Amino acid sequence: MGITHACFGLSYLTALVLELVRQGHPGRAVRVAGLVAGVAGLVAQTIFLAVHQPNPATAYGSLLLLAWVLAVFYLYGSVHHRSPAWAVFVLPVVIVLVALSFLSARNGGDIGSWFSPDRFWGAVHGLLLLAGSVGITVGFLASVMYLVQARRLRRKRPPLGGLRLLSLERLETMNRRAITLAFPLLTVGLLLGAMRVPLAGGPAASWLDPKVLGTVGLWIVALLLLYLRYATHVPPRRLAFLTIVAFALMLVTLIASHPLSMGEGSG
Amino acid sequence: MNLVAVGVTFRTADVGLRERIAFSDPQRDAAAADLAARYGCEAAVLSTCNRVELFLARPGAGDLPDAALLAEFLGEYHRVAPEEVRPHLARRPGEDGVRHLFRVAASLDSLIVGEGQIAGQVKASFEAARSLGTTGPVLNALFQHAQRAAKRVRSETGIADGHVSVSSVAVDYVRQVFDHFGDKTVLVIGAGKMGRLTLKHLCHLRPKQILVANRSAEKAEDIAKKCGGKAVAWDRLDEALAHADIVLSTTGSPEPLVSAARYATVRNRRGGRTAVILDIAVPRDFDPAIHDGDTTFVFNIDDLKNVREQTLTRRRVHVERAESIIEEEARRFLENWDRRKHGPLIARLTEEFETKRKEVLEPLLARLNGKLTEKDRNEIVSAFRLYQNKLLHGPIAALGEASRETHGSSLSEAIRRLFRLD
Repeated sequence: MGITHACFGLSYLTALVLELVRQGHPGRAVRVAGLVAGVAGLVAQTIFLAVHQPNPATAYGSLLLLAWVLAVFYLYGSVHHRSPAWAVFVLPVVIVLVALSFLSARNGGDIGSWFSPDRFWGAVHGLLLLAGSVGITVGFLASVMYLVQARRLRRKRPPLGGLRLLSLERLETMNRRAITLAFPLLTVGLLLGAMRVPLAGGPAASWLDPKVLGTVGLWIVALLLLYLRYATHVPPRRLAFLTIVAFALMLVTLIASHPLSMGEGSG
Repeated sequence: MNLVAVGVTFRTADVGLRERIAFSDPQRDAAAADLAARYGCEAAVLSTCNRVELFLARPGAGDLPDAALLAEFLGEYHRVAPEEVRPHLARRPGEDGVRHLFRVAASLDSLIVGEGQIAGQVKASFEAARSLGTTGPVLNALFQHAQRAAKRVRSETGIADGHVSVSSVAVDYVRQVFDHFGDKTVLVIGAGKMGRLTLKHLCHLRPKQILVANRSAEKAEDIAKKCGGKAVAWDRLDEALAHADIVLSTTGSPEPLVSAARYATVRNRRGGRTAVILDIAVPRDFDPAIHDGDTTFVFNIDDLKNVREQTLTRRRVHVERAESIIEEEARRFLENWDRRKHGPLIARLTEEFETKRKEVLEPLLARLNGKLTEKDRNEIVSAFRLYQNKLLHGPIAALGEASRETHGSSLSEAIRRLFRLD
């Protein structure tokens, strides 16, 4: 199968360019062309994932899977909300994740079958953390849109000027739900991982591995976000900034190599 | 195209004349019926606060009333001297009339470019005329295509983006902050005219509760009754402010009503909840320093007017593209009309040639029966058909060219007589 990162990466880029063009020249044709490019990218990436089955314990696999979930999220949002803003915010993240995944592959990311019965709990651990990452990323996107929208309102810019964004309340709700869903997934994923270190006979140094520390840090930030949101009256803008920090930490964690991936091939 | 659009708009006459010759809906319908009966043509009347326009057409040849006659009609109808109306009438015949209606429907000829009402007014005028039976093939096709063109302009350009009335812009701001209103409380302070209009828009959002505060308890009760809200005592304003999510302030107070210090105490009681304050009073009721762009958003009348100006500026950027869409649609309409107009004549001509061909060919084939192979027979039939098509090509092409050069009716008459088609 001749599908590469370039195929779906460029499809997403085309969709993004068309959505930006739509800002100046709104029209059905441009919207449809953008969606077709987006769908083409998603189909190509789905086939790629099905064929190569990248390991989510590796930076290469986790970034690619996360990009795929976000691409689904982009298409759903574009069709559901019919707003170009959605694509303009989500697609750059998808493209960056695909590019980072590509760079990780060049640095030796392993590729191969990982979801096999003997690696079941490792796969569950990886998938839970990945699902948690999706939540953090959705929270990040909602936060960025929130900050842009809040900035426009603070400066009293026209409500419909430039990108049409969702309301602050909607974006805040989206952020809250994403983090609220991500936290239990991260917690269970983290606990499974913690149980697997002694079972897999991993070295004591595994506990101090950047990926483990990053995941624990991410869990703490998510916990802090929930605490600040539900137990205090911290303004949503500050929570949005903290969510962006959580996303940055998540990216670093995803890129870091997994302590057990060398020995086991899965997370 | 045998069409004429004659009318008075805000570009040709001041409001003094426009309001004297404006038609109410029943008058508009009566006028359309009168025009159609009087001049034996299709008729539709468009009457808004910015224009009074008459659209008259005939499917075939025949003169349509000129501007002087229509000035007389308008004068007679509204009891205004025709010579007072005549200098302000703009007359647009044929293709100009088509383009004009398309521009009007797309809101390119409006006082506020991109305003949304005109498309509905054009549609209403057409529907009324059609239901009265004063429209026919020309105006039916014209108005329907005008609506399609207007829809295309609105969907393919940003000409209709944003709102330009102060009350609509205010509600737009509210919608940029809040998503759902079933759990929101609106507090109305004062009873200004602009406030009442904005409140009407806010009521459409179906908030959970509307509170009304006024120095006069009777006025507060009165407004509350009209909008289904609840009056609150003036001395409990701070409590209401702490409770409200959306505040609409429109008092005539000469001094600011709520200082930054006063609102700081209110803010402490709000528990971090977001508030939008629409301060459309002049002088302002709320200290602008209250706006923190985080949990409290204050928009005053100048902010709302600035948005209106920015929206209009942004709309103007799309005018060029909108004009090109109108030009494209007008050309398409005229081409379709030409084709449709000569359709029956072309069909009749083709039928005539077909009959003649059969009259010559069938006896010939009967005479040669048995002497021809099947192949020979087919070749003869094909040759006759080709000959017929070549003969027809000239008159059909000429009809198309002539209709674009506006002498189509004389040519079609000539063709009818040349080929004895009647």
